Amino acid sequence: MASNKKYWRSVEELKENSAIVDTLKHKEFLEEIPTDIFLGDKKTLETSSTTRRDFLKYVGFTTAAVTLASCEGPVVKTIPYIITPNDIIPGVAEYYATTMANGFDFANILVKVREGRPIKIEPNKEANGTTNARVQASILSLYDSLRLKGPKANGAEISWIDADQQIISKLNEIKAANLPIAVLTGTSASPSTTKLLSKLNETFGNLVLVEYDAVSESAALDAFEYMYGTRALPDYHLENAEVIVSIGADFLGSWQGGGFEAQYSKGRNPSNGKMSRHIQFESNMSLTGANADKRVMIKPSDQNLALIKLYQAVVKGVSTLEETPLNDAVQKAARQLMKAGSKGVVITGIQDKNAQLLALAINKALNSEIIELSTTKNTRKGNDADVAQLIADMNEGKIGAVIIHNSNPVYTLPNASAFVEGLKKVKLSVAFSMQNNETANVVQYTLATPHYLESWGDVEIKKGHYSLMQPTIKTLFNTRQFQDVLLTWTGSTATYYDFLKEMWNTEILVGKSWNQSLHDGIFINETVKSEVKSLEVDIDTAGAELSKVKGSDFELDLYVKIGLGDGQMANNPWLQEFPDPITRTSWDNYLTMSKADAAALGAINKHEANGALNGSLVELTVNGVSEILPVLIQPGQAKGSLGLALGYGRKQGLKAEMQTGKNAYKFYNNFTNFQPNVSLKLVEGEHEFACIQLQNTLMGRGDIIKETTLEIYNDASLNPKDSWNESPKVSLDHKEVEATSVDLWESFDRSIGHHFNLSIDLNTCTGCGACIIACHAENNVPVVGKAEIRRSRDMHWLRIDRYYSHEEDFEGDTKLKDSSKGVIGFKEGMDALEDPSENPSVAFQPVMCQHCNHAPCETVCPVAATSHGRQGQNQMAYNRCVGTRYCANNCPYKVRRFNWFEYPNNSKFDFNMNDDLGKMVLNPDVVVRSRGVMEKCSMCIQMTQATILKAKKEGRPVNTNEFGTACANACTAGAMVFGDVNNQEDTVTGLAEDKRAYHLLEHIGTKPNVVYHVKVRNIQEA
Amino acid sequence: MSSHYEAPIRRPLIIGDKNYHDISVDVAAPVEGKANKLWWIAFSIALLAFLWGIGAITYTIGTGIGAWGLNKTVGWAWDITNFVWWVGIGHAGTLISAVLLLFRQKWRMGINRSAEAMTIFSVIQAGLFPIIHMGRVWNAHFVLPIPNQFGTLWTNFNSPLLWDVFAISTYLSVSMVFWWTGLLPDFAMLRDRAVKPFQKKIYSLVSFGWTGRAKDWQRFEEVSLVLAGLATPLVLSVHTIVSFDFATSIVPGWHTTIFPPYFVAGAVFSGFAMVNTLLIIMRKVVSLEAYITKQHIELMNIVIMITGSIVGCAYITELFIAWYSGVEYEQYAFLNRATGPYWWAYLIMMSCNVFSPQFMWSKRLRTSITFSFIISIMVNVGMWFERFVIIVTSLHRDYLPSSWTMFSPTFIDIGIFIGTIGFFFVLFLLYARTFPVIAQAEIKSILKASGEKYKKLRDGNHE
Repeated sequence: MASNKKYWRSVEELKENSAIVDTLKHKEFLEEIPTDIFLGDKKTLETSSTTRRDFLKYVGFTTAAVTLASCEGPVVKTIPYIITPNDIIPGVAEYYATTMANGFDFANILVKVREGRPIKIEPNKEANGTTNARVQASILSLYDSLRLKGPKANGAEISWIDADQQIISKLNEIKAANLPIAVLTGTSASPSTTKLLSKLNETFGNLVLVEYDAVSESAALDAFEYMYGTRALPDYHLENAEVIVSIGADFLGSWQGGGFEAQYSKGRNPSNGKMSRHIQFESNMSLTGANADKRVMIKPSDQNLALIKLYQAVVKGVSTLEETPLNDAVQKAARQLMKAGSKGVVITGIQDKNAQLLALAINKALNSEIIELSTTKNTRKGNDADVAQLIADMNEGKIGAVIIHNSNPVYTLPNASAFVEGLKKVKLSVAFSMQNNETANVVQYTLATPHYLESWGDVEIKKGHYSLMQPTIKTLFNTRQFQDVLLTWTGSTATYYDFLKEMWNTEILVGKSWNQSLHDGIFINETVKSEVKSLEVDIDTAGAELSKVKGSDFELDLYVKIGLGDGQMANNPWLQEFPDPITRTSWDNYLTMSKADAAALGAINKHEANGALNGSLVELTVNGVSEILPVLIQPGQAKGSLGLALGYGRKQGLKAEMQTGKNAYKFYNNFTNFQPNVSLKLVEGEHEFACIQLQNTLMGRGDIIKETTLEIYNDASLNPKDSWNESPKVSLDHKEVEATSVDLWESFDRSIGHHFNLSIDLNTCTGCGACIIACHAENNVPVVGKAEIRRSRDMHWLRIDRYYSHEEDFEGDTKLKDSSKGVIGFKEGMDALEDPSENPSVAFQPVMCQHCNHAPCETVCPVAATSHGRQGQNQMAYNRCVGTRYCANNCPYKVRRFNWFEYPNNSKFDFNMNDDLGKMVLNPDVVVRSRGVMEKCSMCIQMTQATILKAKKEGRPVNTNEFGTACANACTAGAMVFGDVNNQEDTVTGLAEDKRAYHLLEHIGTKPNVVYHVKVRNIQEA
Repeated sequence: MSSHYEAPIRRPLIIGDKNYHDISVDVAAPVEGKANKLWWIAFSIALLAFLWGIGAITYTIGTGIGAWGLNKTVGWAWDITNFVWWVGIGHAGTLISAVLLLFRQKWRMGINRSAEAMTIFSVIQAGLFPIIHMGRVWNAHFVLPIPNQFGTLWTNFNSPLLWDVFAISTYLSVSMVFWWTGLLPDFAMLRDRAVKPFQKKIYSLVSFGWTGRAKDWQRFEEVSLVLAGLATPLVLSVHTIVSFDFATSIVPGWHTTIFPPYFVAGAVFSGFAMVNTLLIIMRKVVSLEAYITKQHIELMNIVIMITGSIVGCAYITELFIAWYSGVEYEQYAFLNRATGPYWWAYLIMMSCNVFSPQFMWSKRLRTSITFSFIISIMVNVGMWFERFVIIVTSLHRDYLPSSWTMFSPTFIDIGIFIGTIGFFFVLFLLYARTFPVIAQAEIKSILKASGEKYKKLRDGNHE
């Protein structure tokens, strides 16, 4: 509506015919604005004390001053990009293909990088990459606050230029004196490094290359070289195997560099009615033995015997052996092997060339297709004889310089003192190291190297399989990689990157694109094969030699744990807290002993009032070297044998909390894990273990882990729901119905949108624990330390329960439970079931939040902090949680974890979340929980939401099998499969309806979204 | 209401040659006199314990619940044990004042004031635990249905823990009002007797201007009756709801339909035991043996005996049902409860709660003051262990054996428990020095009917 209001402009309007009013009608102002006076008058302007230029100067000055003044604000941790890099979008992760090779673990990986920070490692599945717990955890070692931050000379800091000059002049002196320069390196399997070393040889001459593996596979390499003319390790195709006989080979652990889980598990999936039969002869209870269909526990010296007898039976056809349990087991194994023929394979972990020869000979006799001779593995290259020779030469003063790379011999050598003495006699000692470790502290020059995620490199893990390593972050510290330094020493000005690219283009890529290879992380040249000559060798003498090896009353079998490996990542809190899959004990190594031996010795394991496990101490003496060690009574440990893990007991360059266990390398005489002539003495005192599973048996609760045999599984006449995968029944209106069909609740319509399920195959899960660390990294799970683990307060969102049977197998346990009648009988039965058998059957079960559709936790939370999501997840609203812990009490799976303390920024928990560097590994998509709130598995909701958003932005439906979780992605064995059951194409949809599928504790009616698959064992004897 | 005649066979409820004035003097004596040495010693000990508790609570809130002995499997232990124990003790007061009022049990008049005081003080202790057991106590208001800026963000009305919040707060407020109503004429009596102006001022304030007119008395009687009617269902509901914390869960050993009646009986049982413990000491210390007689103690002992037997029945029923259910998890939970690593706790529970009250069948024992005191302490201990057994032995070995573990308390756990006992006694001792510990107005109403002197006079006349 137009306004009729009239506004007064001046009193002049009251007068009639006012000139002013007239003027204002045409002009805005009554008078002219005198702009000319100050702009037009040139003279005035020129006489002004402020010229135009001065004015601009003043403007410039004040602007600069104000800007500078505003810069005074405190600079906190986040710094925005001044120029945003083209390929970085804040909030969107980048993935780079690279390769891990630290001398112990070799893996083709993808690195997730957020805003320039590598935060997660995933297997590079396109390059057949697999990751184990150590590979997954290696990302945290990048952010290790105790890393070497720059080069040092005799403990004092030095510049790279000075260090290079001094070393080069010394090398020249040594060259003049015509003394050899020894390079002691761990297995690098790097073609370019080999080439660089030859360049170094050209420059200074007389280069001696000694490759050294802390955990030796020298015997296997020697045997293969002796038999096939190439110093390498054979690969295997266990997925095709019908019979696998392993004598002391922990091939699901780190035997020969590991990485066999995927192929092994493939052959263990019974879905097409077939699976391999796995027979394990061993002394310690290993992860491999725990997965075997038949496990024969024998002392290490008897492993030799078993191998000889197996050789005789298979190759020589000798079958008339006296009746002993061992002979019986060997005969059965031999029969099965012969029946399987070329589909059978024998592998051994005995560190004796003769033993390895026998195994190769059996495989040859079987004409085994499982063993791969032409595409050999380079994951172990160490030569024990060379190392021994080097130490001897050093002590005799024959060596001019020792350059150590990728190795910590002062810690890992059994005769470290001899090595240290020898170092004093050489003119120049240089160690390339990432840590201030034992070796770094005794050499003249300690040159700080970058982490593999900050380095360039190449690795030929398998013959013809060339992997590239590329940096995913600029070096955090003043470090230079070994190869760059070598280039400087050889007088080259090129960078290693140039050298690498040049070499690949000329020698490896055969015309293929460098960029593509770098993108893929791998280049495979199928035509490159190992030269394998089948040499005629005398195996019988090898057998005769092997049979001469003497056993003793007690024999020590040194082994390597999944968590710490050879010990180089000892300052990694994730790995320290990683519970051993078998003993479920973290933060320690210990002497594993059979129950009978412990009883005879008087050693005990007992629980404190809060459940924490304590063990007796014994003094172990091998060849005059002693150590006081705690005893852990291990079911399945062969009587007369003792197990002890290598890789612990490091002291230097580690935080106090990480200095765990005792160094077992000092018993590692002759680089062999089998040490006879062991004596034991019980000593005063007790050791405190950090064991997270205090009840070892299943108590006959067969519905928790369902098991059957291959025969029964293949019996088509049986209905699984009534037989081997029986569903629980309840009485409804006096009729027996399936428990899951009885429901108090009204169900939601779950057919719309996504509905996530996680399927876990108990058959293919080896219990390796890669998922535990993957979950740790993805979800910012805190580390709590040994003392808190002892209080049963581990924070792992995902755990792998390990159960031993009380009887020979779990079925026997269930039978015993069912036959325990009456109050007294029930009590006796239950008490008995608490004790594991001498050689138990073992089962693993990964347990995380089951995301129940009828979640018991959700109903009891007074503040509705835990509620159900539309996509099936049980969600936690941390901000809402007040921490009553009622949900955890009411969770039948006990997967909820409470923040008992403030774990980040707390000096009492001095792990990665307590320092700025360690915090860089945190996933920015997952909140770090504060004290007093409950947390648990979220089914990686940050990942599923990201997938949904990505699809939405690209305007498409989510692809089949596009969803993932950290655990399922890390699962090398393929046991964990995640997906959307509302998508009929997703693999998980079929798995959730498989005849082997069941839910954990189905009878409670929680309707979980995690599905387990019945474990099938192949117990058929030939 | 109260007639002046009472059957001669009934024993007198007021012993000795007391008249109305004597009652006023006796009840006012502890308030008007000076505290003796014993009171100061008891008060100092209680205060020290209280301070220890405050220290322990402060430490817990400062560092985290990790200061306690709990773990991933046992998420509740001493905290909720103490909570249920204190709530249980808090049951006797209302039962005595409300239920016995409705049933016209005159013997309640000698003890109801202190029993109610005990109720309120113990509910205060109980109320502490649900608050401090929270991991983030500073967000405790989240459990209240307070309107908020999120609109739909509400508490979870399915959760028994939320029902607890309502049950306990209702119970505390009703008990408080009931108690104070009864106190009005007695405060007025103290006001009228007070000589010091400060005391006079305070007592006139707390007596809400009671004048003693007939109208006052009429309203007093009416309100008492109405409140008794309101409070009676609470006696049953509070512990029923507390038992729902366990009964509605799915933990074997908790998930039991017998819990509501069993908990209520247990609560009355422990409440009466605590009343006995307190009054046996108090009647001696403040010389009120004439009003809290042996007969009172005997009657309470009978209640203890009956409720103890009910509780015993419940224990046996649980075992039977576990066996009868045929559910292996249930069976194991009870086998483990009785014979597992915490067998000693089960044994203490059984002997204190089921066996010890059976001695009360003997008249000689139930009228022995010393013996009653010993049994009352045993029942208190036994009922604490009952809650410990229910909570810890059910949790520590539940469904998946891999998670089984043990619980052991820390110094802080113990400190908080002792601290609440200290706090309770601090309150009770202060109460004993400042409040009329006997409902003297009510006692006066039965003096002529149940006073020993008058009974004798009257009964003599009849002879």
